[in-house]
Amino acid sequence: MEVCSAVDVKCIKSNSTLREFGCEQSLLSRPDGSASFIQGDTSVMAAVYGPAEVKVSKEIYDRATLEVVIQAKVGLPSVKERSQEQCVRETCEASLLMLLHPRSSLTLILQVLHDHGSLLACFLNAACMALMDAGLPMSCLFCGVTCAIASDGQITMDPTAVQEKESRAVLTFAIDSTEQKVMMSSTKGSFSVQELHECIALSQKASENIFKFYRVSVQRRYSKTL
Amino acid sequence: MESCLKGRVGEVLLPGDVFRLARTETTISLSDPEPDPLRTQKVVCGPGLRRDGDHVVVSCKSGVLKHKQPNMYWVDSQQRRYVPAKGESVIGIITAKSGDVFKVDVGGSEQASLSYLAFEGATKRNRPNVQVGDLVYAQLIIANKDMEPELVCIDSSGRANGMGVFGAGGLLFKVSLGLVRRLLTPQNEIVKGLEKLFPCELVLGMNGRVWVRAATVQKTLIVANLLESSENMTAQQRPILFKRVADGNLQIKKEGGRERDMESE
Amino acid sequence: MKDTPLSNCERDFLLKAIEEKKRLDGRQTYDYRNIKLRFGADYGCCIVDLGKTRVMAQVSCELVTPKESRPNEGILFFNLELSPMASPAFELGRSSELLVKLNRQLERCLRNSHCIDTESLCVVSGEKVWQIRVDVHMLNHDGNLMDATSIAAIAALSHFKRPDVGVQGDQVTVYSPEERNPIALSIYHMPICVSLSFFQQGTYLLVDPCEREERVMDGLLMITMNKHREICSIQSSGGIMLLKEQAMTEITDLIMRALENDKKTRKEGGKCGFAEYMPLARITVNTTDDTSVDMTGPVVVISDSEDEEDVVILHPETL
Repeated sequence: MEVCSAVDVKCIKSNSTLREFGCEQSLLSRPDGSASFIQGDTSVMAAVYGPAEVKVSKEIYDRATLEVVIQAKVGLPSVKERSQEQCVRETCEASLLMLLHPRSSLTLILQVLHDHGSLLACFLNAACMALMDAGLPMSCLFCGVTCAIASDGQITMDPTAVQEKESRAVLTFAIDSTEQKVMMSSTKGSFSVQELHECIALSQKASENIFKFYRVSVQRRYSKTL
Repeated sequence: MESCLKGRVGEVLLPGDVFRLARTETTISLSDPEPDPLRTQKVVCGPGLRRDGDHVVVSCKSGVLKHKQPNMYWVDSQQRRYVPAKGESVIGIITAKSGDVFKVDVGGSEQASLSYLAFEGATKRNRPNVQVGDLVYAQLIIANKDMEPELVCIDSSGRANGMGVFGAGGLLFKVSLGLVRRLLTPQNEIVKGLEKLFPCELVLGMNGRVWVRAATVQKTLIVANLLESSENMTAQQRPILFKRVADGNLQIKKEGGRERDMESE
Repeated sequence: MKDTPLSNCERDFLLKAIEEKKRLDGRQTYDYRNIKLRFGADYGCCIVDLGKTRVMAQVSCELVTPKESRPNEGILFFNLELSPMASPAFELGRSSELLVKLNRQLERCLRNSHCIDTESLCVVSGEKVWQIRVDVHMLNHDGNLMDATSIAAIAALSHFKRPDVGVQGDQVTVYSPEERNPIALSIYHMPICVSLSFFQQGTYLLVDPCEREERVMDGLLMITMNKHREICSIQSSGGIMLLKEQAMTEITDLIMRALENDKKTRKEGGKCGFAEYMPLARITVNTTDDTSVDMTGPVVVISDSEDEEDVVILHPETL
């Protein structure tokens, strides 16, 4: 690891705009919690069932069993979906209070409606909103941010599919709401340690926007005095 | 901490929102004749709030922070899934009879058990007439995260007190937990409005299940649809709808669609 | 996960209500629920709402070698998925009776009715033809999945445009959408499935059953028809009945109108895709526009290395 005390980073070029967000909560009648999240053109729907009955073979005696299912639009599930499921599952397990529901199952299903870049980040955001909608106890919120590093070093946040394809590396981070720490990272391509730090810093800043959006959405939802 | 909690009553909280208790003095002055009210405060955390360490309270659900005198705080969230809690009265559906025990579905993560002796006047010779698929209104006596929930249909003195098998001729449907809690508050507007419409029987289970029976099938359907729509209606919209129904507009064919539209506004 | 069991009282009440010609949501016996159609940003993606039942269909294509028995025709492939999102009773990977039934009915409805001109999908006879693949995902199960599936599938097929191909001797070039405009499929007619459910041994029948009505029904009759009142297929599991098919024309008109609207929006260069369909007036919906990330304030990134004093501080003005 490089030893550095303060870094002179005057030449970082970055495009720090996030695409427009949209979300809708409780849109499906069967699941206990559901949400759809839209980032630019990328659109994902998430549904949560739980805490529900679990098969004896899968039950854990002191915590809930979390299952994440990602469904692509076309074709059978492949390794790519499995690895994305693993990333989302690690993030959810870190933020959900699983000890409160032993021997029960929590199922999170994510459906791709349209993929136009930053898909894993969109999965994470939709998952967080759906878990909140279902009323599952969580210790903190999380959000997903994607950065793409072009061959000249320019960092683009929330890249579109075209930008992702032309970039040298694509990094996705899951950031938590209490301490802005990185809960999960998934990277593709080659980049230097310096660029990694810059992307993490940018993601932490971007996560503030996303958490503010969550708060406004939930406030709007509870705004009707019933 | 009480002051900062009190200041945010009525606000929407998200999971992870923290309330820190200011560091108070650890020594209590013995010469002080009156105890300082600020130091001996106690805060009761209800559902949705958790203690995290000595001086920190964290919310774990999203919802509105509510307060009840003298010092009870909780987060009121809109939830659909029931988690069994001791002492609550629920509507269960009998799913199996295994030996001396009935297995009942209450909507939680595990099926609850109901002993055949837990009915009024039941003995080993005089078994209660309960079939698979019947509805029971029962109370949870054991319900925690580590054990299988248990139900009884009698209270502590052995009387049924309204509990037991019921259901012939009525309609069972599911609503959110928040609506049931609102319907159970004494003197609430929705039930008062329903009383004025037509006579009906209503059984409310804290697990979100509601059973309705009125004089005719049509009236039962109307009451059921009104209760389902009042989930999302404000206090202003509700009397308008009730009045429309009371004005003899018993045709809810297209109204049914419009009620659902009102839900979404 | 198991679904909540149906209690005896619900069953008795539903049957009694049906005998009195009353339905749970106030519909008449031949009424359909509200149908809503939305198209996605790319060609061939469609979401259908039938009351609360929600289904998504996606059409895609690729070049493959044709079947030996039919070297001049393209291939239609259907794949239906019962997503666990739709109902707690659906499990992933488990092939259930319902799934098989729906798959077979969809194939019968779209393939055997010859609504799509498969000969126009041929590129090089005997060597290369287009395979059109229709994937249907159930998103919410509130009864009558088959009707919603057939509407979604035929709407997605009508919306879909395949890439243009050029053949020069032995060489086949597939042009991307930027080079040449993609071509729509040639669809002769729109077959749509109508489900009728029977109760009390065929005495009463209801159109478009919702989920609870489906649980107490005796049998189901699925009729596939198109606007011109031609019956494409009948599949029954139960008694036989006379039927009313006025709903047919209305549904087909609805699909045509939705397609027209989408075509108009795309032509005007407007934004298309699911983002545009969000009902902004609802309180459960929230949107924002492009936001820029606030770069003021220092950001401290702790790097995890052997000596723990390494701290990288990024100065905000240089970001």
